[in-house]
Amino acid sequence: MIRGSRDGDHLVGGGEAPADLRVGLVAWLLAVVFIIFVFRLFQLQILEGADLASRSERNSVRTLTLDAPRGDIVDREGRVLATSRPAFRLRVIPNEIRSRESTYAVLGELLDRDGAVLADRVGQPRGRKRFQPVVLEGDLSYEQRARVETHRYALPGVVTDMTPHRIYVEAELAAHVLGNIGQIGSRELENPQFSEYRSGEVIGKAGLEAGLESHLRGDSGGRNVVVDVAGREVETIDEVEPIPGGRLVLTLDLDIQAEAEKVFDSEGLDQPDKMGALVAMDPRTGEVLALVSRPAYDPNDFAGGIDESTWSELTGDAWRPLRNRAVADQYPPGSIYKPIVAMAGLSEGILDPEEKVNCPGHYRLGSRVYRCWKHEGHGEVNLEEALRGSCDVYFYKLGLELGVDVIGKYASQFGLGTATGIELPGERSGLVPTRQWKEQNRGEAWIKGETVSASIGQGYNLATPIQLAHAYSILAGRGVAQQPYLIKRLETWDGRLVKDMSPNQTWSSGLDQEALELVRQALISAVEGPDATGALAQVEGLSVAGKTATSQVVSLDLIKGLEPEEIPIKFRDHALFAAFAPADDPEIVVVVVVEHAGAGGGAVAAPMAQRVLARYFDKNGYPGSLDEEQSVERPLEGRIDDDA
Amino acid sequence: MMLELDRRSMQNFDWVLLTLVCALAGLGILNLMSATAAGVEGGTSTSVERQVVSMSLAALAMAITAFVDYRHFERFAVLIFLFSLGLLALPLFVGAETRGSQSWLFKGSLQPSEFAKVALVIMLARYLHRNPPSMITRLRHLVVPLVIVALPVGFVLLQRDMGVALLILLIGLTYLPLFKISMRAWAGVGLIAIGALAVIWEFGLKVYQKQRIMDFLDPTRDPLSSGYQAMQSRIAVGSGGLLGAGWQEGTQTQLRFLPTQHTDFVFSVLAEEWGFVGSVLVLALFLFLFMWGLWIARSSKDGFGAMLAVGTVGTLFWPAAINIAMVLGLAPVIGVALPLFSYGGSALLSAGISLGLLFNVSMRRYVF
Repeated sequence: MIRGSRDGDHLVGGGEAPADLRVGLVAWLLAVVFIIFVFRLFQLQILEGADLASRSERNSVRTLTLDAPRGDIVDREGRVLATSRPAFRLRVIPNEIRSRESTYAVLGELLDRDGAVLADRVGQPRGRKRFQPVVLEGDLSYEQRARVETHRYALPGVVTDMTPHRIYVEAELAAHVLGNIGQIGSRELENPQFSEYRSGEVIGKAGLEAGLESHLRGDSGGRNVVVDVAGREVETIDEVEPIPGGRLVLTLDLDIQAEAEKVFDSEGLDQPDKMGALVAMDPRTGEVLALVSRPAYDPNDFAGGIDESTWSELTGDAWRPLRNRAVADQYPPGSIYKPIVAMAGLSEGILDPEEKVNCPGHYRLGSRVYRCWKHEGHGEVNLEEALRGSCDVYFYKLGLELGVDVIGKYASQFGLGTATGIELPGERSGLVPTRQWKEQNRGEAWIKGETVSASIGQGYNLATPIQLAHAYSILAGRGVAQQPYLIKRLETWDGRLVKDMSPNQTWSSGLDQEALELVRQALISAVEGPDATGALAQVEGLSVAGKTATSQVVSLDLIKGLEPEEIPIKFRDHALFAAFAPADDPEIVVVVVVEHAGAGGGAVAAPMAQRVLARYFDKNGYPGSLDEEQSVERPLEGRIDDDA
Repeated sequence: MMLELDRRSMQNFDWVLLTLVCALAGLGILNLMSATAAGVEGGTSTSVERQVVSMSLAALAMAITAFVDYRHFERFAVLIFLFSLGLLALPLFVGAETRGSQSWLFKGSLQPSEFAKVALVIMLARYLHRNPPSMITRLRHLVVPLVIVALPVGFVLLQRDMGVALLILLIGLTYLPLFKISMRAWAGVGLIAIGALAVIWEFGLKVYQKQRIMDFLDPTRDPLSSGYQAMQSRIAVGSGGLLGAGWQEGTQTQLRFLPTQHTDFVFSVLAEEWGFVGSVLVLALFLFLFMWGLWIARSSKDGFGAMLAVGTVGTLFWPAAINIAMVLGLAPVIGVALPLFSYGGSALLSAGISLGLLFNVSMRRYVF
């Protein structure tokens, strides 16, 4: 069988009987090992089984929040100003990043950004924050998304998902009305008002976005998904659909708003854009048709998480582009105030509108001389001529006769000194000075010379553009007007009415009708009469009433002897103009404020108002003309049924 | 004649062993189908097909090994051993670096260390046949067997493959309980071993190797890097519970939270999907196989056959034990395959040869 028997001999001779071997001991040792295994399996699978099973579940089941798209904001005709579209967002979950250096370096490469900056943005959060995703890019381009998706397996902790992204269709247009959004801040999170908000959630930060946050926000949904080790969704277990935020229908008219924005644009290469505010409203209803604040900003910059440089540019800008000048900035109204002083004189019965007052170009009170803007003087003027030529001396005298408290009383009847209640956050109430006010706030007695300033809307007088628009609505409406408002109605996202927001807050001033008529006629003359200061606001085929103002920003001493172009910009006069038309049956009030215009209201502000008025009547028809009939029916079906 | 297909051998064919092997191999394939169902990196569904092909080759190797009379192996033992050492040394000169070690030769198609394990067993069986374990009573009697073991271990260590070196060492140690050395001597050895371990820890280990051992001792130390595998494996095993999630239903497996789930951590898949009952069944099959192997050794007609069977059981037991201990979190993560379950042709071939040797000894128990 086998060659060579030596081995066989050896086997029998030198070997031992295998039965004598301690194989049993080996068997026992092996058995012990396996018994340990069984015990261990028992411990892991039976004793700790439930715990480890739940950890396995947590491994693979992830609850995702589905953000609700914010509600659309549309103009009075349903034209979209702000909406949401789906966008790809890139976030990192700090806890799941394996290698910080390589992850951010690769991300930087993929997103064309500096990896170190991205790393700084996320930082190295501790505690629960490690699990909270940080948004690195709110709106990935198609190409970026493709690049990131390709490298997903190499980038644990990096998640991309589809989420609604806010877009402002018209960019800077009506930016201050719409406002902007941003990630909720830590201070807001501590506020019980925002207890439902999660960290990283988007919230309205300014304008209507902030003011109507609860309507626009919607209800976020959620989805439980099974994910694999790379975080990719494999299966959806259950899902609650988000409910989109409600729709906001504004009183704004996109056409009027666009024109009102355009009038601030630079007229030539060597000229900067104008700064200031413009409010256009319907005095019959209180609907604000246009509300402009310049300089503006693009709220889209905030939508995807604003970058550092844009933010510091916006906040560091000396001209404060984020501020809504139409409601949050107060200006000395200047000569725009004069009709109110005239109303006070007429109503109190101390002013004869036909009585002539001599204006030599200045007025002396004690040792001080108060100048009229027209240095050579207006000569003999009655009320109509005084308003048409904006004579200061006439009103100095009238004001002194009335006293500051009486002027203040009538100013209050025009709504000045009280916030209008417009739906925008940050509205200020302006200031109507009285003796009592000065004593309480300055601790000093009122001096007579201050009445002189007050009677031409200077001195302590302050008003916001929206207040001035409201005041002129009262003039236009013969003492009765509606409070200005911006939100026509709230709708659900799919257009069902939630709430009609027209406030129907009638402002009855209790002013004397005869006096109102006299002032109204004078204001028509101030635009259309001979040598009218507001002549540049004339619109063909329309009677326009209006008043110019050039309000001083600093004491004349500061700029004495300087040529107009030598005066520093911030010392230059504001140019104002307030108007309504048609003068007999006003449909629209326009107030224009141009900050530091360097020229008068008649030259700068009146032509701007003129363009807005013209745009309005071009669209809605001129009074008495044929196409008025047609244009009464506004183009959008359904939505404005309640107007009919 | 080398091939001896005589009737008596065939009449004594070991049907019990064949049944055990088929059962384990069948379960192994079934489990691998689940482990690769999700499309593991480096292992798609075609890897099951490849495993079946490898298994057929292993069966062929098993048959050949079984039918060559094992006494021929004793005769050529030294030659076989030297050849295996040569194979081990070869990658030091021509091998390509793979996974930090050089043991995969010819683009991974052959792992010389697998062959070396069998060669070592044949060599040691030959030595212990001539120097029966009962005669080994003093520590100095261990010098020659230790040198025999140290040679392949040393070559593997030179290739920086810790796991395989340890495995070969342990296979050599399988014979230890057979020796009749006093407890006092063992105590001395123990002390020396502890000293040696300290020296190795201080000077012999690379940082990542220390890392693995530290992670094993405390898996919560860093759940995201090297401890990650151990942690995910424990979660998988534990979530299996009593009856398991069901075949191809384990979330840890199917969502690929398990690392190398078709190779080193294949037992986690089994534990997650088949639960305590299935795992214990597989453990019992393995234990039965090893006990049967030891029974073959005990009933062998000669010392060489007995020593060959004991060593062969060692070549199967140690990788299985280390692999399962690793999966259960009882041992550090060392890349050791579970025989008949893990994906990989080389390990299967090696298991086939080992099992062939067992058949060989078993069939010839009653021959002479």
